[in-house]
Amino acid sequence: MIEFNHVNKVYDNGAVALQDVTLHVDKGEFVLVCGPSGAGKSTFIKLLSHEILPESGTVMVNDMDITRLKKRKIPYLRRRLGIVFQDFRLLPNKTVFENVAFALEVIEEKPSVIKKKVSHVLELVGLAHKANDLPEDLSGGEQQRVAIARAIVNNPLVLIADEPTGNLDPNTSRDIVDLFKQINNAGTTVVMVTHDMDIVSYLDKRVIAIEEGRVVSDRMRGAEYRED
Amino acid sequence: MKIRTFRYFVKEAVKSMRRNGLMTIASISTVALSLFILGIFTCGVVNLDNLASNLESQVEVSVYLQDNLTTPEIMDVGKKLKVMPGLTKMEFVSKQEALQRFEQRLGDQKDMLQALDGNNPLPNAYVLTFETPEQVKDTAATVTKFKGVDSVHYGQDVVEQIFKITQIIRIGGIILIVFLACATLFIISNTIRLTVFARRKEIAIMKYVGATNGFIRWPFLLEGVILGFIGAAIASACVWEFYLFVTGEVQNSLAFLPIVPIVPFFYKLAGGLFAVGILVGAVGSAISIKQYMKV
Repeated sequence: MIEFNHVNKVYDNGAVALQDVTLHVDKGEFVLVCGPSGAGKSTFIKLLSHEILPESGTVMVNDMDITRLKKRKIPYLRRRLGIVFQDFRLLPNKTVFENVAFALEVIEEKPSVIKKKVSHVLELVGLAHKANDLPEDLSGGEQQRVAIARAIVNNPLVLIADEPTGNLDPNTSRDIVDLFKQINNAGTTVVMVTHDMDIVSYLDKRVIAIEEGRVVSDRMRGAEYRED
Repeated sequence: MKIRTFRYFVKEAVKSMRRNGLMTIASISTVALSLFILGIFTCGVVNLDNLASNLESQVEVSVYLQDNLTTPEIMDVGKKLKVMPGLTKMEFVSKQEALQRFEQRLGDQKDMLQALDGNNPLPNAYVLTFETPEQVKDTAATVTKFKGVDSVHYGQDVVEQIFKITQIIRIGGIILIVFLACATLFIISNTIRLTVFARRKEIAIMKYVGATNGFIRWPFLLEGVILGFIGAAIASACVWEFYLFVTGEVQNSLAFLPIVPIVPFFYKLAGGLFAVGILVGAVGSAISIKQYMKV
Protein backbone atom coordinates (compact mmCIF):
# COMPACT_ATOMS: atom_id res chain seq x y z
CA MET A 1 0.00 0.00 0.00
CA ILE A 2 2.69 2.49 1.09
CA GLU A 3 6.37 2.08 0.33
CA PHE A 4 9.26 4.44 1.03
CA ASN A 5 12.48 3.43 -0.73
CA HIS A 6 15.66 5.20 0.39
CA VAL A 7 13.86 8.52 0.72
CA ASN A 8 15.96 11.61 1.41
CA LYS A 9 14.52 15.03 2.07
CA VAL A 10 16.54 18.16 2.72
CA TYR A 11 14.75 21.50 3.13
CA ASP A 12 15.88 24.63 1.36
CA ASN A 13 17.45 25.96 4.56
CA GLY A 14 19.71 22.91 4.67
CA ALA A 15 17.82 21.12 7.45
CA VAL A 16 17.80 17.38 6.86
CA ALA A 17 14.28 16.05 7.42
CA LEU A 18 14.55 12.45 6.30
CA GLN A 19 17.63 10.34 5.67
CA ASP A 20 17.51 7.12 3.70
CA VAL A 21 14.07 6.14 4.97
CA THR A 22 12.83 2.80 3.76
CA LEU A 23 9.58 1.38 5.06
CA HIS A 24 6.58 -0.59 3.98
CA VAL A 25 2.94 -0.48 5.07
CA ASP A 26 0.53 -3.21 3.99
CA LYS A 27 -3.08 -2.82 3.08
CA GLY A 28 -5.33 -2.86 6.12
CA GLU A 29 -2.50 -2.15 8.57
CA PHE A 30 -2.68 0.35 11.43
CA VAL A 31 0.70 2.03 11.76
CA LEU A 32 1.85 4.63 14.24
CA VAL A 33 4.72 6.90 13.34
CA CYS A 34 6.28 8.51 16.35
CA GLY A 35 9.30 10.40 17.52
CA PRO A 36 10.19 13.72 19.12
CA SER A 37 9.14 16.95 17.41
CA GLY A 38 11.38 17.91 14.55
CA ALA A 39 12.25 14.27 13.89
CA GLY A 40 10.67 14.30 10.44
CA LYS A 41 7.17 12.99 11.17
CA SER A 42 5.40 15.85 9.41
CA THR A 43 7.75 15.54 6.47
CA PHE A 44 6.68 11.92 6.23
CA ILE A 45 3.03 12.97 5.88
CA LYS A 46 3.79 15.81 3.51
CA LEU A 47 5.60 13.37 1.24
CA LEU A 48 2.58 11.06 1.26
CA SER A 49 0.15 13.82 0.34
CA HIS A 50 2.55 15.17 -2.29
CA GLU A 51 2.90 18.57 -0.66
CA ILE A 52 6.64 18.19 -1.03
CA LEU A 53 8.92 15.97 -3.08
CA PRO A 54 11.97 14.04 -1.83
CA GLU A 55 15.48 14.82 -3.07
CA SER A 56 15.93 11.15 -3.86
CA GLY A 57 14.18 7.83 -3.40
CA THR A 58 10.65 6.82 -4.29
CA VAL A 59 7.33 7.05 -2.48
CA MET A 60 4.82 4.46 -3.62
CA VAL A 61 1.12 4.63 -2.82
CA ASN A 62 -1.02 1.79 -4.08
CA ASP A 63 1.80 0.62 -6.41
CA MET A 64 2.15 4.05 -7.96
CA ASP A 65 5.33 6.11 -7.66
CA ILE A 66 3.88 9.44 -6.56
CA THR A 67 7.21 11.26 -6.86
CA ARG A 68 6.76 11.01 -10.60
CA LEU A 69 3.16 12.07 -10.52
CA LYS A 70 2.20 14.84 -12.97
CA LYS A 71 1.08 18.00 -11.27
CA ARG A 72 -2.46 17.84 -12.53
CA LYS A 73 -2.81 14.27 -11.24
CA ILE A 74 -2.10 15.27 -7.64
CA PRO A 75 -5.77 16.02 -6.82
CA TYR A 76 -6.68 12.50 -7.89
CA LEU A 77 -4.05 11.07 -5.53
CA ARG A 78 -5.45 13.15 -2.67
CA ARG A 79 -8.97 11.94 -3.35
CA ARG A 80 -7.71 8.49 -2.40
CA LEU A 81 -6.14 9.73 0.85
CA GLY A 82 -8.08 10.90 3.89
CA ILE A 83 -6.11 13.39 5.94
CA VAL A 84 -6.84 14.47 9.53
CA PHE A 85 -4.91 17.25 11.27
CA GLN A 86 -4.17 18.23 14.83
CA ASP A 87 -6.07 21.51 14.41
CA PHE A 88 -9.14 19.89 12.75
CA ARG A 89 -9.24 22.43 9.88
CA LEU A 90 -12.99 22.79 9.67
CA LEU A 91 -14.66 25.70 7.92
CA PRO A 92 -16.19 27.83 10.68
CA ASN A 93 -19.10 29.18 8.66
CA LYS A 94 -20.31 25.77 7.47
CA THR A 95 -22.37 23.31 9.48
CA VAL A 96 -21.12 19.86 10.41
CA PHE A 97 -23.01 18.38 7.48
CA GLU A 98 -21.69 21.00 5.04
CA ASN A 99 -18.12 20.54 6.26
CA VAL A 100 -18.23 16.86 5.47
CA ALA A 101 -20.17 17.39 2.25
CA PHE A 102 -17.52 19.90 1.12
CA ALA A 103 -15.09 17.04 0.46
CA LEU A 104 -17.57 15.58 -2.01
CA GLU A 105 -18.75 18.86 -3.49
CA VAL A 106 -15.31 19.83 -4.67
CA ILE A 107 -15.00 16.56 -6.54
CA GLU A 108 -18.38 17.23 -8.15
CA GLU A 109 -20.30 14.34 -6.61
CA LYS A 110 -24.08 14.21 -7.18
CA PRO A 111 -26.18 15.89 -4.44
CA SER A 112 -28.15 12.70 -3.79
CA VAL A 113 -24.94 10.71 -3.34
CA ILE A 114 -23.48 13.43 -1.12
CA LYS A 115 -26.52 13.34 1.16
CA LYS A 116 -26.38 9.59 1.49
CA LYS A 117 -22.64 9.32 2.08
CA VAL A 118 -22.48 12.23 4.55
CA SER A 119 -25.40 10.91 6.61
CA HIS A 120 -23.71 7.55 6.69
CA VAL A 121 -20.32 8.78 7.95
CA LEU A 122 -21.90 11.14 10.50
CA GLU A 123 -23.74 8.13 11.84
CA LEU A 124 -20.44 6.25 11.94
CA VAL A 125 -18.61 8.93 13.96
CA GLY A 126 -21.64 9.40 16.21
CA LEU A 127 -22.55 12.93 15.23
CA ALA A 128 -25.73 12.44 13.20
CA HIS A 129 -27.69 14.43 15.79
CA LYS A 130 -25.34 17.44 15.39
CA ALA A 131 -25.41 17.62 11.61
CA ASN A 132 -26.76 21.17 11.60
CA ASP A 133 -24.49 22.59 14.29
CA LEU A 134 -21.58 24.89 13.54
CA PRO A 135 -18.07 23.76 14.53
CA GLU A 136 -17.87 26.46 17.23
CA ASP A 137 -20.77 24.77 19.06
CA LEU A 138 -18.88 21.47 19.28
CA SER A 139 -16.26 20.21 21.72
CA GLY A 140 -12.72 19.52 20.50
CA GLY A 141 -13.35 15.81 20.31
CA GLU A 142 -16.51 16.33 18.32
CA GLN A 143 -14.74 18.67 15.93
CA GLN A 144 -12.09 16.03 15.34
CA ARG A 145 -14.84 13.51 14.66
CA VAL A 146 -16.20 15.81 11.97
CA ALA A 147 -12.73 16.06 10.48
CA ILE A 148 -12.43 12.27 10.50
CA ALA A 149 -15.86 11.97 8.88
CA ARG A 150 -14.69 14.34 6.16
CA ALA A 151 -11.50 12.31 5.67
CA ILE A 152 -13.28 8.98 5.27
CA VAL A 153 -16.43 10.08 3.42
CA ASN A 154 -14.77 9.42 0.08
CA ASN A 155 -13.64 5.87 1.03
CA PRO A 156 -9.89 6.56 1.00
CA LEU A 157 -7.23 3.90 0.51
CA VAL A 158 -5.32 5.30 3.46
CA LEU A 159 -6.44 7.43 6.38
CA ILE A 160 -3.53 9.65 7.38
CA ALA A 161 -3.63 11.45 10.71
CA ASP A 162 -1.13 14.07 11.81
CA GLU A 163 -1.17 14.26 15.62
CA PRO A 164 -4.95 13.87 15.68
CA THR A 165 -5.11 13.88 19.49
CA GLY A 166 -2.61 16.68 20.00
CA ASN A 167 -5.27 19.19 21.04
CA LEU A 168 -7.45 16.81 23.04
CA ASP A 169 -7.57 15.65 26.66
CA PRO A 170 -6.59 11.99 27.39
CA ASN A 171 -10.14 10.63 27.64
CA THR A 172 -11.27 12.24 24.42
CA SER A 173 -8.05 11.10 22.79
CA ARG A 174 -8.88 7.49 23.56
CA ASP A 175 -12.34 7.90 22.06
CA ILE A 176 -10.84 9.32 18.93
CA VAL A 177 -8.26 6.54 18.76
CA ASP A 178 -11.06 4.01 19.17
CA LEU A 179 -12.77 5.56 16.22
CA PHE A 180 -9.61 5.16 14.13
CA LYS A 181 -9.44 1.55 15.24
CA GLN A 182 -13.03 1.02 14.20
CA ILE A 183 -12.33 2.51 10.79
CA ASN A 184 -9.24 0.30 10.48
CA ASN A 185 -11.26 -2.77 11.40
CA ALA A 186 -13.59 -1.96 8.54
CA GLY A 187 -10.61 -2.35 6.19
CA THR A 188 -9.08 1.09 5.76
CA THR A 189 -5.31 1.40 6.16
CA VAL A 190 -4.46 3.93 8.88
CA VAL A 191 -1.20 5.83 9.29
CA MET A 192 -1.13 7.96 12.41
CA VAL A 193 1.64 10.31 13.44
CA THR A 194 1.83 10.91 17.16
CA HIS A 195 4.23 11.57 19.99
CA ASP A 196 1.70 10.61 22.66
CA MET A 197 3.12 7.53 24.42
CA ASP A 198 -0.22 6.79 26.10
CA ILE A 199 -1.78 6.36 22.71
CA VAL A 200 1.07 4.17 21.50
CA SER A 201 0.76 1.72 24.38
CA TYR A 202 -3.03 1.92 24.45
CA LEU A 203 -3.31 0.99 20.77
CA ASP A 204 -0.61 -1.68 20.84
CA LYS A 205 -0.12 -1.56 17.07
CA ARG A 206 2.93 -1.42 14.83
CA VAL A 207 5.17 1.55 15.68
CA ILE A 208 7.73 3.13 13.40
CA ALA A 209 10.03 5.43 15.36
CA ILE A 210 11.76 8.28 13.58
CA GLU A 211 14.59 10.26 15.11
CA GLU A 212 16.66 12.90 13.37
CA GLY A 213 15.27 11.83 10.05
CA ARG A 214 16.05 8.14 10.39
CA VAL A 215 13.91 5.13 11.16
CA VAL A 216 15.37 3.96 14.47
CA SER A 217 12.94 1.16 15.22
CA ASP A 218 10.01 -0.64 13.69
CA ARG A 219 8.12 -2.98 16.01
CA MET A 220 4.92 -4.84 15.60
CA ARG A 221 3.78 -4.36 19.22
CA GLY A 222 3.45 -0.75 20.38
CA ALA A 223 3.14 -1.72 24.04
CA GLU A 224 6.81 -2.86 23.96
CA TYR A 225 7.97 0.44 22.53
CA ARG A 226 9.52 2.94 24.87
CA GLU A 227 10.99 6.23 23.87
CA ASP A 228 14.51 6.16 25.23
CA MET B 1 -18.23 21.57 -16.34
CA LYS B 2 -21.49 20.70 -14.71
CA ILE B 3 -24.19 23.34 -14.37
CA ARG B 4 -24.40 22.66 -10.64
CA THR B 5 -20.68 23.33 -10.30
CA PHE B 6 -20.97 26.52 -12.30
CA ARG B 7 -23.75 27.72 -10.02
CA TYR B 8 -21.51 27.02 -7.07
CA PHE B 9 -18.72 29.11 -8.65
CA VAL B 10 -21.05 32.04 -9.30
CA LYS B 11 -22.36 31.86 -5.75
CA GLU B 12 -18.84 31.88 -4.32
CA ALA B 13 -17.80 34.77 -6.56
CA VAL B 14 -20.79 36.89 -5.59
CA LYS B 15 -20.28 36.08 -1.92
CA SER B 16 -16.72 37.33 -1.93
CA MET B 17 -17.68 40.41 -3.92
CA ARG B 18 -20.05 41.31 -1.09
CA ARG B 19 -17.43 40.56 1.51
CA ASN B 20 -14.90 42.83 -0.22
CA GLY B 21 -17.55 45.54 -0.69
CA LEU B 22 -15.28 48.57 -0.92
CA MET B 23 -12.68 46.93 -3.11
CA THR B 24 -15.42 45.61 -5.35
CA ILE B 25 -16.80 49.12 -5.81
CA ALA B 26 -13.31 50.49 -6.41
CA SER B 27 -12.61 47.81 -9.03
CA ILE B 28 -15.88 48.30 -10.85
CA SER B 29 -15.39 52.08 -10.85
CA THR B 30 -11.90 51.92 -12.30
CA VAL B 31 -13.00 49.46 -14.96
CA ALA B 32 -16.00 51.66 -15.77
CA LEU B 33 -13.95 54.86 -15.89
CA SER B 34 -11.22 53.33 -18.05
CA LEU B 35 -13.68 51.81 -20.47
CA PHE B 36 -15.72 55.01 -20.59
CA ILE B 37 -12.64 56.96 -21.63
CA LEU B 38 -11.73 54.26 -24.13
CA GLY B 39 -15.26 54.49 -25.49
CA ILE B 40 -15.19 58.28 -25.81
CA PHE B 41 -11.87 58.22 -27.62
CA THR B 42 -13.17 55.58 -29.98
CA CYS B 43 -16.25 57.68 -30.70
CA GLY B 44 -14.03 60.66 -31.49
CA VAL B 45 -11.71 58.73 -33.78
CA VAL B 46 -14.56 56.98 -35.59
CA ASN B 47 -16.34 60.27 -36.24
CA LEU B 48 -13.22 62.03 -37.49
CA ASP B 49 -12.49 59.08 -39.78
CA ASN B 50 -16.02 59.27 -41.04
CA LEU B 51 -15.71 63.00 -41.64
CA ALA B 52 -12.43 62.51 -43.47
CA SER B 53 -13.71 59.82 -45.78
CA ASN B 54 -16.84 61.86 -46.36
CA LEU B 55 -14.75 64.80 -47.52
CA GLU B 56 -12.37 62.60 -49.43
CA SER B 57 -15.10 61.16 -51.56
CA GLN B 58 -16.30 64.60 -52.57
CA VAL B 59 -15.72 65.34 -56.20
CA GLU B 60 -16.44 69.05 -55.92
CA VAL B 61 -13.91 71.83 -56.15
CA SER B 62 -14.69 75.39 -55.23
CA VAL B 63 -12.60 77.88 -57.18
CA TYR B 64 -12.80 81.24 -55.43
CA LEU B 65 -12.12 84.27 -57.59
CA GLN B 66 -10.38 87.51 -56.68
CA ASP B 67 -12.81 90.22 -55.70
CA ASN B 68 -11.79 92.89 -58.22
CA LEU B 69 -12.36 90.98 -61.46
CA THR B 70 -14.51 92.35 -64.24
CA THR B 71 -17.25 90.28 -65.82
CA PRO B 72 -15.17 89.38 -68.95
CA GLU B 73 -12.29 88.36 -66.74
CA ILE B 74 -14.62 86.10 -64.77
CA MET B 75 -15.91 84.59 -68.04
CA ASP B 76 -12.29 84.07 -69.10
CA VAL B 77 -11.50 81.96 -66.07
CA GLY B 78 -14.70 80.02 -66.70
CA LYS B 79 -13.62 79.21 -70.28
CA LYS B 80 -10.29 77.85 -69.09
CA LEU B 81 -11.95 75.75 -66.37
CA LYS B 82 -14.42 74.26 -68.80
CA VAL B 83 -11.72 72.26 -70.60
CA MET B 84 -10.32 70.55 -67.48
CA PRO B 85 -10.21 66.75 -67.90
CA GLY B 86 -12.91 64.72 -66.14
CA LEU B 87 -15.18 67.68 -65.58
CA THR B 88 -18.85 66.69 -65.48
CA LYS B 89 -20.53 69.85 -64.21
CA MET B 90 -19.62 73.47 -63.79
CA GLU B 91 -21.64 76.08 -61.97
CA PHE B 92 -21.01 79.75 -61.34
CA VAL B 93 -21.97 80.95 -57.86
CA SER B 94 -21.99 84.72 -57.55
CA LYS B 95 -21.31 86.59 -54.34
CA GLN B 96 -25.04 87.19 -53.85
CA GLU B 97 -25.99 83.57 -54.42
CA ALA B 98 -23.27 82.39 -52.05
CA LEU B 99 -24.63 84.67 -49.36
CA GLN B 100 -28.18 83.41 -49.89
CA ARG B 101 -27.03 79.80 -49.63
CA PHE B 102 -25.09 80.56 -46.51
CA GLU B 103 -28.18 82.17 -45.03
CA GLN B 104 -30.21 79.08 -45.77
CA ARG B 105 -27.65 76.81 -44.26
CA LEU B 106 -27.55 78.79 -41.06
CA GLY B 107 -31.30 78.35 -40.65
CA ASP B 108 -32.36 79.60 -37.24
CA GLN B 109 -29.05 81.28 -36.67
CA LYS B 110 -29.20 83.55 -39.72
CA ASP B 111 -29.47 86.58 -37.46
CA MET B 112 -25.72 86.27 -37.17
CA LEU B 113 -25.43 87.75 -40.67
CA GLN B 114 -26.71 91.11 -39.44
CA ALA B 115 -23.28 91.58 -37.93
CA LEU B 116 -21.95 91.97 -41.48
CA ASP B 117 -23.75 95.33 -41.85
CA GLY B 118 -24.75 94.59 -45.43
CA ASN B 119 -21.18 93.77 -46.54
CA ASN B 120 -20.77 90.53 -48.40
CA PRO B 121 -17.40 88.90 -47.58
CA LEU B 122 -18.01 85.91 -49.84
CA PRO B 123 -16.20 85.76 -53.21
CA ASN B 124 -17.53 84.81 -56.62
CA ALA B 125 -16.84 81.20 -57.29
CA TYR B 126 -16.97 78.39 -59.79
CA VAL B 127 -18.06 75.04 -58.39
CA LEU B 128 -16.69 72.19 -60.47
CA THR B 129 -17.78 68.58 -60.22
CA PHE B 130 -15.48 65.81 -61.43
CA GLU B 131 -15.87 62.15 -62.18
CA THR B 132 -13.47 60.90 -59.49
CA PRO B 133 -11.88 62.37 -56.33
CA GLU B 134 -8.39 61.78 -57.84
CA GLN B 135 -9.03 64.19 -60.71
CA VAL B 136 -9.94 66.81 -58.14
CA LYS B 137 -6.46 66.89 -56.67
CA ASP B 138 -4.64 67.28 -60.03
CA THR B 139 -7.04 69.94 -61.22
CA ALA B 140 -6.80 71.91 -58.00
CA ALA B 141 -3.03 72.16 -58.36
CA THR B 142 -3.31 73.55 -61.93
CA VAL B 143 -6.20 75.89 -61.31
CA THR B 144 -4.59 77.62 -58.32
CA LYS B 145 -2.06 79.17 -60.73
CA PHE B 146 -4.73 80.66 -63.07
CA LYS B 147 -4.89 84.43 -63.28
CA GLY B 148 -7.80 85.83 -61.28
CA VAL B 149 -8.13 82.78 -59.05
CA ASP B 150 -7.82 83.63 -55.39
CA SER B 151 -7.88 80.13 -53.88
CA VAL B 152 -9.08 76.62 -54.53
CA HIS B 153 -10.86 74.55 -51.88
CA TYR B 154 -11.65 70.91 -51.94
CA GLY B 155 -12.03 67.98 -49.57
CA GLN B 156 -8.45 66.71 -49.54
CA ASP B 157 -7.17 69.89 -47.93
CA VAL B 158 -9.29 69.47 -44.89
CA VAL B 159 -8.84 65.73 -44.92
CA GLU B 160 -5.11 66.06 -44.32
CA GLN B 161 -5.77 68.32 -41.37
CA ILE B 162 -8.28 65.89 -39.96
CA PHE B 163 -5.86 63.01 -40.34
CA LYS B 164 -3.31 64.92 -38.30
CA ILE B 165 -5.85 65.52 -35.53
CA THR B 166 -7.03 61.92 -35.62
CA GLN B 167 -3.46 60.74 -35.32
CA ILE B 168 -2.88 62.87 -32.22
CA ILE B 169 -6.10 61.65 -30.63
CA ARG B 170 -5.22 58.05 -31.44
CA ILE B 171 -1.75 58.22 -29.91
CA GLY B 172 -2.92 60.19 -26.89
CA GLY B 173 -5.80 57.80 -26.45
CA ILE B 174 -3.60 54.73 -26.64
CA ILE B 175 -1.16 56.11 -24.04
CA LEU B 176 -4.01 57.01 -21.70
CA ILE B 177 -5.69 53.66 -22.19
CA VAL B 178 -2.49 51.77 -21.46
CA PHE B 179 -2.08 53.67 -18.19
CA LEU B 180 -5.68 53.08 -17.24
CA ALA B 181 -5.45 49.41 -18.16
CA CYS B 182 -2.46 49.00 -15.83
CA ALA B 183 -4.30 50.76 -13.01
CA THR B 184 -7.35 48.61 -13.61
CA LEU B 185 -5.31 45.41 -13.63
CA PHE B 186 -3.65 46.46 -10.40
CA ILE B 187 -6.93 47.20 -8.63
CA ILE B 188 -8.63 44.04 -9.82
CA SER B 189 -5.73 41.80 -8.89
CA ASN B 190 -5.69 43.45 -5.46
CA THR B 191 -9.36 42.74 -4.99
CA ILE B 192 -8.91 39.12 -5.95
CA ARG B 193 -5.90 38.90 -3.67
CA LEU B 194 -8.14 39.88 -0.76
CA THR B 195 -10.56 37.15 -1.75
CA VAL B 196 -7.80 34.58 -1.96
CA PHE B 197 -6.58 35.69 1.47
CA ALA B 198 -10.05 35.55 2.98
CA ARG B 199 -10.49 32.04 1.66
CA ARG B 200 -7.00 30.64 2.22
CA LYS B 201 -8.22 28.12 4.82
CA GLU B 202 -10.91 26.91 2.50
CA ILE B 203 -8.40 26.65 -0.34
CA ALA B 204 -6.06 24.54 1.80
CA ILE B 205 -8.89 22.17 2.68
CA MET B 206 -10.01 21.99 -0.94
CA LYS B 207 -6.50 20.92 -1.87
CA TYR B 208 -6.40 18.22 0.79
CA VAL B 209 -9.67 16.68 -0.25
CA GLY B 210 -8.56 16.60 -3.87
CA ALA B 211 -10.20 19.52 -5.63
CA THR B 212 -8.53 20.11 -8.99
CA ASN B 213 -6.65 23.36 -9.49
CA GLY B 214 -9.22 24.42 -12.04
CA PHE B 215 -12.01 23.92 -9.55
CA ILE B 216 -10.18 26.02 -6.97
CA ARG B 217 -9.34 28.81 -9.39
CA TRP B 218 -12.69 29.23 -11.13
CA PRO B 219 -14.53 31.28 -8.49
CA PHE B 220 -11.67 33.80 -8.40
CA LEU B 221 -11.48 34.04 -12.14
CA LEU B 222 -15.22 34.45 -12.26
CA GLU B 223 -15.10 37.23 -9.68
CA GLY B 224 -12.66 39.15 -11.87
CA VAL B 225 -14.78 38.56 -14.93
CA ILE B 226 -17.92 39.77 -13.15
CA LEU B 227 -16.11 42.91 -12.00
CA GLY B 228 -15.05 43.57 -15.59
CA PHE B 229 -18.52 42.84 -16.91
CA ILE B 230 -20.30 45.22 -14.54
CA GLY B 231 -17.69 47.89 -15.22
CA ALA B 232 -18.21 47.49 -18.96
CA ALA B 233 -22.00 47.71 -18.55
CA ILE B 234 -21.73 50.98 -16.65
CA ALA B 235 -19.19 52.36 -19.13
CA SER B 236 -21.41 51.44 -22.10
CA ALA B 237 -24.45 53.11 -20.60
CA CYS B 238 -22.43 56.25 -19.91
CA VAL B 239 -20.96 56.29 -23.42
CA TRP B 240 -24.47 55.93 -24.88
CA GLU B 241 -25.78 58.91 -22.93
CA PHE B 242 -22.67 60.96 -23.57
CA TYR B 243 -22.76 60.26 -27.31
CA LEU B 244 -26.43 61.19 -27.62
CA PHE B 245 -25.82 64.39 -25.69
CA VAL B 246 -22.73 65.51 -27.61
CA THR B 247 -24.05 64.61 -31.06
CA GLY B 248 -27.26 66.45 -30.20
CA GLU B 249 -25.30 69.55 -29.30
CA VAL B 250 -23.14 69.29 -32.41
CA GLN B 251 -26.12 68.89 -34.67
CA ASN B 252 -27.69 72.02 -33.20
CA SER B 253 -24.70 74.25 -33.75
CA LEU B 254 -22.75 72.62 -36.59
CA ALA B 255 -25.48 71.02 -38.65
CA PHE B 256 -23.29 70.37 -41.70
CA LEU B 257 -20.91 67.99 -39.85
CA PRO B 258 -21.60 64.38 -40.74
CA ILE B 259 -22.09 62.33 -37.56
CA VAL B 260 -21.92 58.56 -37.32
CA PRO B 261 -25.39 57.40 -36.24
CA ILE B 262 -25.34 55.78 -32.78
CA VAL B 263 -26.97 52.59 -34.09
CA PRO B 264 -25.45 50.21 -35.20
CA PHE B 265 -22.06 51.81 -34.38
CA PHE B 266 -22.75 51.62 -30.65
CA TYR B 267 -23.37 47.86 -30.68
CA LYS B 268 -19.88 47.23 -31.98
CA LEU B 269 -18.39 49.67 -29.53
CA ALA B 270 -20.25 48.17 -26.56
CA GLY B 271 -19.21 44.69 -27.71
CA GLY B 272 -15.61 45.87 -27.69
CA LEU B 273 -15.93 47.47 -24.26
CA PHE B 274 -17.43 44.29 -22.80
CA ALA B 275 -14.68 42.18 -24.38
CA VAL B 276 -11.95 44.43 -22.97
CA GLY B 277 -13.64 44.62 -19.54
CA ILE B 278 -13.99 40.88 -19.23
CA LEU B 279 -10.45 40.30 -20.48
CA VAL B 280 -8.97 42.79 -18.02
CA GLY B 281 -10.99 41.19 -15.21
CA ALA B 282 -9.81 37.72 -16.11
CA VAL B 283 -6.16 38.74 -16.50
CA GLY B 284 -6.28 40.75 -13.25
CA SER B 285 -7.50 37.78 -11.26
CA ALA B 286 -5.17 35.40 -13.08
CA ILE B 287 -2.23 37.50 -11.86
CA SER B 288 -3.40 37.20 -8.25
CA ILE B 289 -4.22 33.53 -8.49
CA LYS B 290 -0.76 32.83 -9.84
CA GLN B 291 0.96 34.94 -7.20
CA TYR B 292 -0.96 34.12 -4.07
CA MET B 293 -2.42 30.70 -4.60
CA LYS B 294 0.12 27.95 -5.03
CA VAL B 295 -2.23 25.25 -6.12
